Amino acid sequence: MSGIHVQDLGKRFGDRVAVEALSFHVRPGEVFGLLGPNGAGKTTTVRMLTGLLQPTEGEATVWGHRVDRDGEPLRKVVGLLTEQPGLYDRLTARENLRFFMKLHELDEAAAWPRARHYLERFGLGGREEEPVGGFSKGMRQKLAIVRTLVHDPKVIFLDEPTSGLDPESARTVRDAVAELASEGRTIVLCSHNLAEVERLCERVAVVKRRLLAMGPVRELRHAGQALEVRVEGEAERFCVALAQLPFAPNVLAEGPKLRVMLADDAQAPDVVACLVGAGARVHSAVPTQRPLEEVYLELLREGRG
Amino acid sequence: MAFRPKRALAVFWKDFLDLRKNVGLLVSMMVLPAVMVLVPIGVVWTYVRTPDHADLRSVALFYDPTLPLGASAARFLIDKTLTDWFGMFLVMPVFVPILIASQSVAGEKERRTLEPLLASPVTAAELVTGKSLAALVPSVAITWTAFVLFCVGVDIVAWPLVKMPLMPNALWTFGVFVIAPLFAFFGNGVAVLISARVSEARMAQQLSALVVLPIVGMVGGQVAGVLKAGFGYYLLQGAVVLVLDALLLWASIRLLDRERLVSRWG
Ligand SMILES: Nc1ncnc2c1ncn2[C@@H]1O[C@H](COP(=O)(O)OP(=O)(O)OP(=O)(O)O)[C@@H](O)[C@H]1O
Ligand SMILES: [Mg+2]
Repeated sequence: MSGIHVQDLGKRFGDRVAVEALSFHVRPGEVFGLLGPNGAGKTTTVRMLTGLLQPTEGEATVWGHRVDRDGEPLRKVVGLLTEQPGLYDRLTARENLRFFMKLHELDEAAAWPRARHYLERFGLGGREEEPVGGFSKGMRQKLAIVRTLVHDPKVIFLDEPTSGLDPESARTVRDAVAELASEGRTIVLCSHNLAEVERLCERVAVVKRRLLAMGPVRELRHAGQALEVRVEGEAERFCVALAQLPFAPNVLAEGPKLRVMLADDAQAPDVVACLVGAGARVHSAVPTQRPLEEVYLELLREGRG
Repeated sequence: MAFRPKRALAVFWKDFLDLRKNVGLLVSMMVLPAVMVLVPIGVVWTYVRTPDHADLRSVALFYDPTLPLGASAARFLIDKTLTDWFGMFLVMPVFVPILIASQSVAGEKERRTLEPLLASPVTAAELVTGKSLAALVPSVAITWTAFVLFCVGVDIVAWPLVKMPLMPNALWTFGVFVIAPLFAFFGNGVAVLISARVSEARMAQQLSALVVLPIVGMVGGQVAGVLKAGFGYYLLQGAVVLVLDALLLWASIRLLDRERLVSRWG
């Protein structure tokens, strides 16, 4: 079974809930974004999906390997770029890569052409014999990406690949990720950088401890995505009725306002009809259209607590 | 989860390579062996230089009131020094692996290299094995090399008095080849366990180094004449450490899981 299937995944550390009720599915060849603010649980999620942390709830499979019990085979098919590049400074670039080839028990003669190919593509060709301690941050990050690729993983998890880089290095790293995407690799990209996610990802999940929204970036951005309805009285009591709709939209209620997430504009009349059917007095129903950043920030605001 | 020796060897390969490039650590690793070899040679040399000094006899009588009148006090003290010093020498095989293993386990955490490593297929048991080898092999090699230099040095300075090679004797040979590796295993085990729990190499080193104290304390007891060192005495130490080694091995396998290692950050 290829792809990534995540079902009700959760992780708590003591009584602190880092991730809860997270469900999503990543198709092979897809570039999937996990977008969320600091502390949203992105790293925790990626650590669970790479077998570093045990989920405390739910389950997930990555290329058919259960993350909670198939640790070793799982780690053979995933590549993880950690938040910190985590290279050995005293070793050369070549030695750093060799170490991971050995850990993956690769035939080094066969693995080197691929590594060299990426070194060249990322502008690190000819620097293999230099100790990594002398590399710039951008070079380290790119070398770390090459390291995640030595075993030709089925899926690559990139945890904030451009954080802490200056705009130019960030750009070269982003270009490198775009290259990988263009090769049809499956990539899960964690980020709190909207522009980056927008440029690189096909679909994105906005998370803040739990899933706030998910869909193609262009859908998140554009109209029809949400219908803002004003009703009389507390809007909260209509959530149950809306959940009965065949397309079971995501609903957020605040005072007299309801925000109903829609997959397309055509669902708007159904929402209004449903509300009226449930006895709501509808004052207004406005489709919203806003830039991604606003959608994102609003999602976060509403997802608070 | 199968144990793959190749992956353990990969860890060993990397750590050993890293050690060879870590000049600071290499220098601090060499200080102790130098002291361990030069000090007893200096002491023996002092006895040899003034073998007939009257005070030597009183010192010797302090340790052994039954010393026959005709026996050479200098010779007696040289033999005693050699026997006692083995206890001190054991500090080296304990301490050198502590220096290396603290660097290699807590150092990985400090430099944030542990997470990518744990995301590879390597298992905790392979990781511990590789890292332990990387600490044990150099430590035992250093101990043995120091032993050879020690034998040569002692024999050279003692020759004018005793006119025959004193070293290597049975106690030292057995001790260095059997007991010392057990001590090295002990030092390494302590350092690995402590390193897995603290986040800085320096802290791991300082905490682990405390295990040297009982050893030094016992040597103190020997010098004070409270403890009498000999073959059986060191054999007993070796046996105790063997039991501790088994406990450490059990504890490392039980306690070193991936989640714990990753979760210790942040
Ligand atoms: N090992 C741990 N022990 C206790 N709490 C933890 C641990 N790891 C993470 N957390 C908590 O879980 C929450 C999610 O953290 P996580 O690192 O997954 O967030 P993130 O989305 O990656 O954030 P950032 O953008 O800062 O990297 C945080 O509140 C964090 O404090
Ligand atoms: Mg993070």
